[in-house]
Amino acid sequence: MTSGDLGLSKPEPLLRASALSVDYDAAGGDVVRALRNLDLEIADGESVGVLGESGSGKSSLALALLRLLPRNARVVSGRIEYRGRSLAEFSAEELRQMRGGEVALISQEPALALNPVLPLRRQLADVLLAHHKLDRGAVSSRCHEMLREVGFPDPERIMRAYPHELSGGQRQRVAIAQALICRPRLLIADEPLSALDAATQSEILELLQRLKRDLRLAMLFITHNAGTLAALADNIIVMREGEVAARGSIGKLQSSADEYVQGILFPEKSLAGEPRASGPAADETPLLEVRALSKKFVQQRMLSRRKFVVQSLVGIDLSLRRGSTVAMLGRSGSGKSTLARCLAGFETPDSGEILLQGKPEEAKKAGIRRPVQMIFQDAATSINPRFTARQVIAEPLEIAKWKTDAERTVRALALMEEVGLDPGWALRLAGEFSGGQRQRLALARTLVAEPDLLIMDEALSGLDMPVQAQMVRLLIHLQSRHGLTYLYISHDLNFISLFAQEVIVMEAGRIVERTTPARLAGSTNPATRELVEASERLHAPGVEAAV
Amino acid sequence: MIRYLGRRAAHGLLILFGVSILLFLLFQAAPGDFLSEAKLNSQISPETMAYLRAQYGLDQSLPVRYWQWAKSSVRGDFGYSFAYNVPAASLLWPRARNTLLLSVPALIISWLIAVPLGVLVAGWKGKWADRIFSGGTSALLALPDVLIALLALLIALKTGMFPVGGMTSVNSQNQGWWAGLRDLGWHMALPVAALVVGSLAIILRHVRNSLGEVLESSYMRAAEGHGLPRFKLLFRYALPAAANPLISLFGLSVAVLLSVSLLIEVVMSWPGIGPLLLEAILARDLFLVIGAVMLSTVFLIAGNLLGDVLLYAFDPRIRRQT
Repeated sequence: MTSGDLGLSKPEPLLRASALSVDYDAAGGDVVRALRNLDLEIADGESVGVLGESGSGKSSLALALLRLLPRNARVVSGRIEYRGRSLAEFSAEELRQMRGGEVALISQEPALALNPVLPLRRQLADVLLAHHKLDRGAVSSRCHEMLREVGFPDPERIMRAYPHELSGGQRQRVAIAQALICRPRLLIADEPLSALDAATQSEILELLQRLKRDLRLAMLFITHNAGTLAALADNIIVMREGEVAARGSIGKLQSSADEYVQGILFPEKSLAGEPRASGPAADETPLLEVRALSKKFVQQRMLSRRKFVVQSLVGIDLSLRRGSTVAMLGRSGSGKSTLARCLAGFETPDSGEILLQGKPEEAKKAGIRRPVQMIFQDAATSINPRFTARQVIAEPLEIAKWKTDAERTVRALALMEEVGLDPGWALRLAGEFSGGQRQRLALARTLVAEPDLLIMDEALSGLDMPVQAQMVRLLIHLQSRHGLTYLYISHDLNFISLFAQEVIVMEAGRIVERTTPARLAGSTNPATRELVEASERLHAPGVEAAV
Repeated sequence: MIRYLGRRAAHGLLILFGVSILLFLLFQAAPGDFLSEAKLNSQISPETMAYLRAQYGLDQSLPVRYWQWAKSSVRGDFGYSFAYNVPAASLLWPRARNTLLLSVPALIISWLIAVPLGVLVAGWKGKWADRIFSGGTSALLALPDVLIALLALLIALKTGMFPVGGMTSVNSQNQGWWAGLRDLGWHMALPVAALVVGSLAIILRHVRNSLGEVLESSYMRAAEGHGLPRFKLLFRYALPAAANPLISLFGLSVAVLLSVSLLIEVVMSWPGIGPLLLEAILARDLFLVIGAVMLSTVFLIAGNLLGDVLLYAFDPRIRRQT
């Protein structure tokens, strides 16, 4: 119980979980403990933040509170009460009325929270109709009103659209509209920001703050990013391995002596003692040179002969020196990924040159060496989850018919060790690794090719802050050991000052600014300002490494 | 949309062309022809044989025969049946109508049963009902179609409630259209039922599996979290999202039904394409076989085309790609 438990004078909380424990039945008869003896109270209008690494049981908590846990999960003990009544006593119909009507959920990934084949009009109106009997006109006007409330100036256009026609931020706003259209008393938001770019994140955060104020909405806000909670949460629970590691206000937690709490609140601090990247070797031909690179995409709409040309890259000039780290920043859609894909050879540019060590195109090398390698944002989708760790790493070697199977295994195990994975896990399936571990696996796989240049396309964005910090430490270590060159693409500024010597800001397919991390904060370029300000808003309580 | 369909239809024509060439080549490779048996008859003189060969065009080279056939196909005759001495088309059309009379109702009925049942079963995943269902469909899948047809005949024989084969009763012609229709329906019941049983299991399994995947997705969990009623979740949210592979299967199920249908027609003596094709193959009645196979191909292509149209109508993402 919290310290403010004063007995009689205290009103009944909206939602209370006491001694809640949840187990998952994993494959092979293992039992994974997701939640252990968790106590939680949310009063009317109160916001509670839940902070923790991935795998700490945060999402299980959100699902358990709505009795939405998947089939292989069991509530082992404890009870959940809504307005003083145990959820276990709720009938199926009462439970349904509560979900969405009284307690609403925003799930983790906006891209996946909307049905891909139904127009948004139906997905929004059905939530309303599930809880209220209304005629068509009333439904329509209520939907319009709600969409305006979450910041769509033209609701009718959104209502007609399908999810794939919207951006990630727009989709997340629709998901919020769905959750709030029945005016619930409590909103459970499970990592509602983690898949969005920094500017969109701060928009959504502002929206949630405004809705909380205007609707007197109670909120359970689950995140791994302490910065977002400072602006939103009255109380914070820090979770570790299914248990409550600490609870209190953000101020109280900041002064906590607990190492885990500190690591989550200030992930950058853990890097303080690390040697900075040594920086590039001077006066040498650049490792990679890009001259006047342009690329456009042509889109055509249904039943229309009109073609839309999207100019994705316009006259990009870029030069990377060996051993340096260049950070490329920009909102989503600014052309960062297209540039990366051109450099890695996945896209053919329309015009311009890419020179590698002064030569136009690296003649095809024998053996397994590939000078440019790329790591993608989401290792969960870029690695076959049914491969074992050894297979993931050794596959490029097998394709190149490199030596014998035994030697390949030795190499794979050595690489696992190098990226900080226990070689004893070599036979585990990739799908069983956590997000951060999978990203390490992806890193090991790219190192097989002994690259000179490693392109990381939002490679850390999907990870928790503490895990990001560990990855940055690993990357700095590998850079000094192998003389790697990094092109680090990101939409936020986390860790950039610790990591990069040069910063490039992209906007609408053009490089709009070249600067250094130290001078980023003082930039006058509007695109850069937007990124810096969004980052400042998100990392308010001193979680500030970038600028 | 029009262009998309046009492209698909053009593909269909190309397939038909390829199939026809393949059929001619295969027939050429097979030993013997329509007159092989007559040749063994010592009462027919070699001169008569030569005359007959010339009359049937069997003395011509393959490309010439193909060209003749193609010309007659454009006229709508599809060549001449050696055995019946009439244009192949005049034999094929009524038979095709009879085959469609079986397979179209069977197609509709099996999908009408499979979709709601499959959706419900997917909703029970992991419960005992689901296990019983799995066992049942496995058993059905393992059952050979011939056996199903023979079982249907056995039922007809033992109960006496259904006619044992055929399409019409002897005296149905002179009883007015309503009685005729009832008679037809009565004769259709068992073959259609056998067809439905033969094709149901595959469709059911696909519906259940593709629904099962969708039900695990985060958008279904989100929709459940918004408090949508269960029936709506299953049928209005999960089913459209799972429809894609099922629609592709719809085209394929036309093929499955047709091939099962040929067999069941033979066993239950339904005057469809099946018995005609069998007879024509045994007699080496070249153009009749080719015509029957081409007709089946047309049905197949039409089924897939229908599937494509449905896919286009159902999935907004495909509309965008085309």
